[in-house]
Amino acid sequence: MKLKLLGEFLIFVVFGFVLIFGIDFIPPPPSGLKNYFVYQGVRQTGAINLVSSIYLGYRAFDTLGETIVLILVVSGIVMLLEKKDKE
Amino acid sequence: MKESEIVSVISRKLVPYILIFGLYLISYGHLSPGGGFQGGVVLASGIILLALARGTDSAQKLFPERNLRIVEAKAFFLFLFMGIGGLVAGGYFLQNFLPLGKAGEVPSAGFIFFLNLIIGLKVSAGISLICFYLLKGE
Repeated sequence: MKLKLLGEFLIFVVFGFVLIFGIDFIPPPPSGLKNYFVYQGVRQTGAINLVSSIYLGYRAFDTLGETIVLILVVSGIVMLLEKKDKE
Repeated sequence: MKESEIVSVISRKLVPYILIFGLYLISYGHLSPGGGFQGGVVLASGIILLALARGTDSAQKLFPERNLRIVEAKAFFLFLFMGIGGLVAGGYFLQNFLPLGKAGEVPSAGFIFFLNLIIGLKVSAGISLICFYLLKGE
């Protein structure tokens, strides 16, 4: 039991070190795309809210996929719970 | 289960304001924080509050299950038609084919406003439909 606890603690420490050093060595993300959205977003899509202009303007196809996920969830739940009523 | 008078009254007074706040979040989604998904969930939370406080049967008098299903299915096809409208206007799929208008007004930003409305209705119908089914299973 004590050995298992020690092993868990060792794994915890090792992963903690890996993550702490990983933070330092990751280079900063490129700012070109960010600047493009910030400076061109309002002019190109007309929406002041940049989040809206990205998820419905530039990435509208991704939002279409999200609505498909939602409609699949709803139809799955309706299918599963309606069968129980009929029995 | 015996119905509590306080819960019933408070929920009935609170639900209209929650629904109005949800509609505000949806219709100002392109100007301020919010949007279709968030506003839709707020709308659904109003419906769920009604269903929890007054029972699903009385909530379904106001929001019938059949109508919610129709909204859920038709809103998806409306979204697709908005996307195909971009193709018809001579661009790519889901292109912003409506005039952009003046930035900062409520009906501006072309079809982002209408997509927010469609997504808000769809999310609210879907979430409240899920909760109706889960509450009915008890």
